[in-house]
Amino acid sequence: MPEIKVTPLGAGQDVGRSCILVSIGGKNIMLDCGMHMGYNDDRRFPDFSYITQNGRLTDFLDCLIISHFHLDHCGALPYMSEMVGYDGPIYMTHPTKAICPILLEDFRKITVDKKGETNFFTSQMIKDCMKKVIPLNLHQTVQVDDELEIKAYYAGHVLGAAMVHIKVGSESVVYTGDYNMTPDRHLGAAWIDKCRPDILISESTYATTIRDSKRCRERDFLKKVHESIERGGKVLIPVFALGRAQELCILLETFWERMNLKAPIYFSTGLTEKANHYYKLFITWTNQKIRKTFVQRNMFEFKHIKAFDRSYADNPGPMVVFATPGMLHAGQSLQIFKKWAGNEKNMVIMPGYCVQGTIGHKILNGQRKLEMEGRATLDVKLQVEYMSFSAHADAKGIMQLIRMAEPRNMLLVHGEAVKMEFLKGKIEQEFSIDCYMPANGETTTVTTNPSVPVDISLNLLKREMALGGPLPDPKKPRTMHGTLIMKENSLKLVSSEQALKELGLNEHQLRFTCHVQLQDPHSDADTLHRIYTHLKSVLKGYTIQHLPDGTVIVESIVIKVSSSAEDSNTKVLLLSWSYQVKTWTLFLEAAALPGVTTKLSSRHP
Amino acid sequence: EMEDAEFEDILDDWFIESLKTYKDLHVYQLEHPTQVLEWTSGNSVCVAGYSQSKNEILELRLPLKLLADENKSLCAERDFKVSHGGFTDGPVRCLTHIPGTRCAVTNDGLSSDLQVWDLGGEESDVIRRTGSIKGKRSASERGSRIAARPSSAPQVLHGAQISDVQLTELASGETLYKLETDSADPLSSLQFVSDTVFLAGCCNGSVYVADTRTSAPPQLSHSPSSAESVIWWTDAAAGPHPSSRRVIRVSSSGQAVVSDLRNLGGAGCQAQLDVQTPGRCSQVKVSWAPTLDDCISVSGFSGVVQIYNTRLWGAEPQEARPLFEHRGHAVSSQQTDDSVPTFVTSHIWHPERPRTLLSAASDGSVHVWDWVDPNRQGGSPTP
Repeated sequence: MPEIKVTPLGAGQDVGRSCILVSIGGKNIMLDCGMHMGYNDDRRFPDFSYITQNGRLTDFLDCLIISHFHLDHCGALPYMSEMVGYDGPIYMTHPTKAICPILLEDFRKITVDKKGETNFFTSQMIKDCMKKVIPLNLHQTVQVDDELEIKAYYAGHVLGAAMVHIKVGSESVVYTGDYNMTPDRHLGAAWIDKCRPDILISESTYATTIRDSKRCRERDFLKKVHESIERGGKVLIPVFALGRAQELCILLETFWERMNLKAPIYFSTGLTEKANHYYKLFITWTNQKIRKTFVQRNMFEFKHIKAFDRSYADNPGPMVVFATPGMLHAGQSLQIFKKWAGNEKNMVIMPGYCVQGTIGHKILNGQRKLEMEGRATLDVKLQVEYMSFSAHADAKGIMQLIRMAEPRNMLLVHGEAVKMEFLKGKIEQEFSIDCYMPANGETTTVTTNPSVPVDISLNLLKREMALGGPLPDPKKPRTMHGTLIMKENSLKLVSSEQALKELGLNEHQLRFTCHVQLQDPHSDADTLHRIYTHLKSVLKGYTIQHLPDGTVIVESIVIKVSSSAEDSNTKVLLLSWSYQVKTWTLFLEAAALPGVTTKLSSRHP
Repeated sequence: EMEDAEFEDILDDWFIESLKTYKDLHVYQLEHPTQVLEWTSGNSVCVAGYSQSKNEILELRLPLKLLADENKSLCAERDFKVSHGGFTDGPVRCLTHIPGTRCAVTNDGLSSDLQVWDLGGEESDVIRRTGSIKGKRSASERGSRIAARPSSAPQVLHGAQISDVQLTELASGETLYKLETDSADPLSSLQFVSDTVFLAGCCNGSVYVADTRTSAPPQLSHSPSSAESVIWWTDAAAGPHPSSRRVIRVSSSGQAVVSDLRNLGGAGCQAQLDVQTPGRCSQVKVSWAPTLDDCISVSGFSGVVQIYNTRLWGAEPQEARPLFEHRGHAVSSQQTDDSVPTFVTSHIWHPERPRTLLSAASDGSVHVWDWVDPNRQGGSPTP
């Protein structure tokens, strides 16, 4: 039976990274190639030994697809491509292709320069790896080869995030990556058509949660900023160039306007340039509101938000500053942090995950004394706030997505089966589909029932109908005979005669013969008649005829009797039949003639 | 018809105001609305659907950020975790957790039979039906009220009308006690005020107090009003000291009467509540605050939860102004059917955190909120 195999790479309950293998229609596809951010050793990379013990992966994979630029989905890409070795195509959307290398380089710098690690990919490897990337546009079918095609869908979540539809023949799989079903300020909601894939693959991380509204997260952000400003404190918000930064800016601008606040808000210029550049390139990826804003004016022509100059950090009084980089690991945001950390009236708001080794990571773990260059210690007295703004689908969202795509099977990765029984039951009940939950390193095999649509000729159809019997039904398929003609991409079922005609061939018939000897003293005609009578009694339901020319015909089997030349008591039966007939059953019945001993001398077909 | 932008604006106003009026605020959207909110531990609640056929019972763990006291700022976790879930064949109108166990008892509002559930533990996240308890009536308009005995072995007090009230032992199904009375008044509340003494509030406003240890007839306190079409709801404060045990009764016309548990007919205090649509209410919930003296909360008249300080009430019924109003459900309602405006279906107080409540509404929303007492509010006024 045709089947699709899905294996999430990794071990045990590991949920820190995504790397999934799919085997479909003879093709092997790797979905995402994430880094596990919790480990410092080789455990952070996916375990490729599952694919091959040593050597390059090129021969084993038809393609690699990256869903979005978060490191737990693409962090191991340069390692896989340049250190393990893979030269095949790597697919991702345009924004992902633009942003990935920046994050990978940042990540590399932190890991190698700050933490002094050695077994890690280099800057050159990042560049070489990105050369293998083929960018995808939304809703555009891409032929990876003659049989494998892929298509990207909008996933929301972050700029450039995609869900991907993979098709080989009539079997297909959809992988969601990370997605969200409710639009937020700068991204729309995920969308996919009723593509009915054989399997819909998704993360289970948020499938058993109910998300707090984005407004409440924003409220918390505004409350914290406002409280700090009110007591005269300074607020630092380290951000990556784009994404949440724009959203938070719009939020603060609206709030400042509403509350008639006077404290200055700054946005470092490096950020502005980069962000504008990216937004111009990827305007189609943001939602309506941002698009309208951007079209009407420059992204960053805010009334209350101004360009930052490093000297402003020393100005007295309250202020809010957005600065890069996002994890406080270098540059302007770190400089500002060092200046402001000693004052408890100040605040730093971390809007996302910070990689190990960064100051961001340390302070989010509660560290209040930091070792800086030159053995200097920094006392962290300011307030540290961790806020997560990332957009994820929850339990309700997953049901909405299944309703949209109508998969035949559901597969959830990165979950503990005992903690997901209810969700599995819910999906199975509501949609009447199977829900699989493989552990890391475990392979799930899903049997697909691909249907091959074939046109049938009217004549053949009429002939079948004339035979009577029950009408064909999905639960009770009806077998029929015909000849399948495959021309280019079309399949046609016609009668054999028509097929021969189309091919310009003459019909040939194969007939087989065998001789059976039996002892019978009667005349030839009598023997034949006895055979006729016997067969009529044992082979009820079959058409048996006794023709005047001295033959008995059972369906299409022809029986003749003649006497042996040597001995008139020995009769020789000549049996002749055409290919279709299941002769031997009949023959054995016939052979049970009373008082007849038989000697078989036959030629098998 | 409200324009999207206008809708967003109103939301914005309320949210902006909320910066000062709430310490914490969380807003969730369930797939299906719930009429029940019941604590199953200090940090988890049960909710359940009430549609005609199949429904879900969910046990939700409160967000870590809300509960974190020390490292609150370093915790970004704001979501509910669906820790356990199960399916029911009918609506769930009443759900009671049996203290000290992983067991819950429900009633579907169609008969007085009860369903018994195992909420699941570490090994499974499925809530399973383990049995049932037969009630007196096969068909009932409002269904039964249920109260779990606070200590001792798992026992439930239940009944659809006052004459049906019985105490059933869960393990054996044995009836340990029956309330002896002829009255057929339907119940709107049932609760234990001590380990053996319970209070049964009838829809007509009369209240019965009885002890499950004796077969003596219950004490009866008649309804504060003789008006026929008025429905009453009751809550008793289960304070540690008998002198703090008070009972409040609220009517569908917004009348509120407070009396002492030992002297129900005596003079207490009363007020006319500031409810939006008196008379049009189906699921009123009135509750004493567990840790704030004299505070009560009321919901069910509209999309608002109101908190009153009863210390300000006098012997004569006067109009009372709420101390605080949670308007979140009314303001952010996403209901498309405008003929039936969103109303709050239930609310509960956190047993320990003084001003933390959970509320649920008919549009499926569930809010968790920690309100700021306006009398203690300082700082700049809200613009």
